[in-house]
Amino acid sequence: MTDHSLARPREAGTAHPARTRRGQGLPWLAGMCLVLTVAGPWLFDTYLLNVLIKALFFAMAAVTVDVLWGYTGHLTFGQSAFFGVGAYAAGLAFTHYGFSPSIAILAALAAVGAAALLALATGWLSFYRGASPFFATVISLVLPIVLMQLVLAGGTYTGSSSGLTGYETFDLSLEAWYVIAAGSLSAVALLAWVVVRSDGGRILVALRDNESRCSYLGLNTAHWRIVLLVVCGAVASLAGFGYGAFSGVVAPELTGFVFGTELIIWVALGGRGTIWGPVLGAVLINVAGSYLSGNMPFLWQLLLGVTFILVILLLPRGLLPLLTAPFLRRGQAAVVPVLGVRAGQSQPANGASRALNLSGVAKRFGSLKVLEGIDLQARGGELVGLIGPNGAGKTTLMRCIADGAERSEGDLELYGHRVLRDGPEQCVRYGLGRKFQNANVFDTMTVAESLRIATTLREQPSWWRRSPTLDLPPYALEVLRVTGLDHCLASVARDLSHGQQQALELAMVLALEPRIVLLDEPTAGLSKAERSQIGQMLSSLAHQYGLCCLLVEHDLDFVKEVATRIVVLHQGRIVMDGSFQDVVESELVRTIYAGSAQAAQGAGQ
Amino acid sequence: MTSIAPALSLEGVSSGYKGLVVLNEVSLSVDRGACVALLGKNGMGKSTLLKTVMGYLPKLRGRVRLGAVDATRLRPHEVARCGVAYAAQEQPLFPDLSIRDNLRLGLPRDDLFDERFADIADLFPVFSTRLRQHAGTLSGGEQKMLLVARGLMQRPELLLLDEITEGLQPSVIERLGRALNWEREQRGTTMLIVEQNVAFALDVADRYLVLKQGAIVDEGEAGAPEAIGHIIDHLKV
Repeated sequence: MTDHSLARPREAGTAHPARTRRGQGLPWLAGMCLVLTVAGPWLFDTYLLNVLIKALFFAMAAVTVDVLWGYTGHLTFGQSAFFGVGAYAAGLAFTHYGFSPSIAILAALAAVGAAALLALATGWLSFYRGASPFFATVISLVLPIVLMQLVLAGGTYTGSSSGLTGYETFDLSLEAWYVIAAGSLSAVALLAWVVVRSDGGRILVALRDNESRCSYLGLNTAHWRIVLLVVCGAVASLAGFGYGAFSGVVAPELTGFVFGTELIIWVALGGRGTIWGPVLGAVLINVAGSYLSGNMPFLWQLLLGVTFILVILLLPRGLLPLLTAPFLRRGQAAVVPVLGVRAGQSQPANGASRALNLSGVAKRFGSLKVLEGIDLQARGGELVGLIGPNGAGKTTLMRCIADGAERSEGDLELYGHRVLRDGPEQCVRYGLGRKFQNANVFDTMTVAESLRIATTLREQPSWWRRSPTLDLPPYALEVLRVTGLDHCLASVARDLSHGQQQALELAMVLALEPRIVLLDEPTAGLSKAERSQIGQMLSSLAHQYGLCCLLVEHDLDFVKEVATRIVVLHQGRIVMDGSFQDVVESELVRTIYAGSAQAAQGAGQ
Repeated sequence: MTSIAPALSLEGVSSGYKGLVVLNEVSLSVDRGACVALLGKNGMGKSTLLKTVMGYLPKLRGRVRLGAVDATRLRPHEVARCGVAYAAQEQPLFPDLSIRDNLRLGLPRDDLFDERFADIADLFPVFSTRLRQHAGTLSGGEQKMLLVARGLMQRPELLLLDEITEGLQPSVIERLGRALNWEREQRGTTMLIVEQNVAFALDVADRYLVLKQGAIVDEGEAGAPEAIGHIIDHLKV
């Protein structure tokens, strides 16, 4: 059943028409790209065209670096490797098999295929479970170094250190090459720009902001990162192929990490995370470099270095934001979707189903036993309060339920699904939602965007636009209403108060429509009045919607109000399991927990 | 007595984050040895006020004084050297350092450690046997205790506490309340505390302020019988 009173945010929330500014950007940019592409050959002389064509191919690779680094936060030195694969595919094919249109097509396919395979292998190595971002960066550094060694070791086949030159290639005019290069770059950059601004594209930013929150929202983060690396690798490889086919020269430096680093510098100078900034950076530096480096090679290097330092110091966001700032001031009206109620989540309370089943679960850190022999069952519609002294292992228990890889021993079942060593994203797919103890949100994303990410599992996000509406289950809307977050949908999470961040996280977890909810102090940082409203909402989760809730909370009044059953954890074991009355009035709980003179002893040992 | 400057005073202070004014010309003063509780709903600027005093946020307008010192332009480490300790809500601990090192970093010299620690050991018996454990391996509530312990060990003149009861078991909150009262009686420490736990706040503080939309809208004696009613009215959703 859907509660229509909850649809109120629809009127209360700021109902800006979502399309106003968004629709206009694309035709403008596409028009500019078209004009520059078509008019280029008339505007520039032969020398400049020559330089520009190369720069435009480089810029395509720079855009892929920006997508990976600027948006998903993966600092990569390795895009040069994919560029080099493409360039060498052209060079090798045309040198050894001669030029013909069919050879060219086969070589291009080989370039994409090889780059994709290489990216797949690299991604698998870089983003396996538990790998740190630093490790992924190191792998990206190793890749071009290894590839360059392979090229150098290739003898006459790869031309070793002198590369391949003088092969026959497409017989096209300079103007035609310019149109091809500018056209491809425009297509790549426009496509990237549309995608990163779409609802789906926000997932990339979510990966950068908080990967663990992503997996607890059911996203397979490694899978996303690998797919993205494969796509970016293929695009960079095509750019390299274009470069190799145009220039008639491929050198091992094209695959090297120095070129990979240059790509990063162009992205940083132009403006990281802007798509167009890297295009600007790549073109500016290559054009300026080609004029200056011939005349004064040393001064040019110095100039480049000083510029880089100045930009990093004075314009940490790069050149492009500086250039576009005057145009963006007006019409800054934030784009906010209209909230609505998502139908279909009302499962009748099914008391018989066993939602949660733990048997013999243990967790050890080395010789330290944090949890030992935990047997716990809970049904849908139950709201289990988990209490215990600080350090009793409550949060560890939550972690063991939410992430299959955490427990050292024992069996875990979620609604009949046996959880093996699966990560959180698999547990989420079995119906689990986890609210962390400290607000775990996406720092740079708005409230509306964060909630959208949380609905990814339920609703395939669009990859080319932003939806004007955002449908959430009624209980998630209730959290937003009680805490006033429905009025700040356009606020960035980082600017919210601590309590509002907690509420946002709770709303995100509920937007998953979980069937088992783990709540680690869901009301921490909220005022008493807000607490009691959240408490009512939690009760309705269990009683009206039949969810199984496991709640860690220290406010015993709150627990008394909402919990149907209390479990007491002490020194890593369940010491009591019963009704609130039985438990709280027991001697044991008073001694270890609720406050009396000797309570001091309990917490530590 | 009247000639002594208040331990902390704010005169018309505005501050906030990039382009967003959170505190709007707030004036308040906390006398030496007093304890003032800042109450209010979420997002009303309570934590922002503490961060502004510490110098983490620039003052857009107004003046902050610590006793006779003008602290308006001081940076966080300079404010700390004026004898201010701050237990932030974000729990800024060093997770890879031991409990002892986390506590030690609040002190100017290593040889002070044993004496100061003996002072708080009764209050947080959890730590006595676990001084070598990494702070990152503590549970959420224990980290909170460590943060408060570090603040107390600094023996500050002014102690800023941001929601220290969050996530603590009732018996620990009880002990903490007694400890703060003892601290004030014995050392005359001045305190400014932000709390959602109104009962705890009124127990520890002698005056309360209610913050709403970045401005002080109400204040009164913490001990007054009508205080709790007033506050609950303000905290209504």
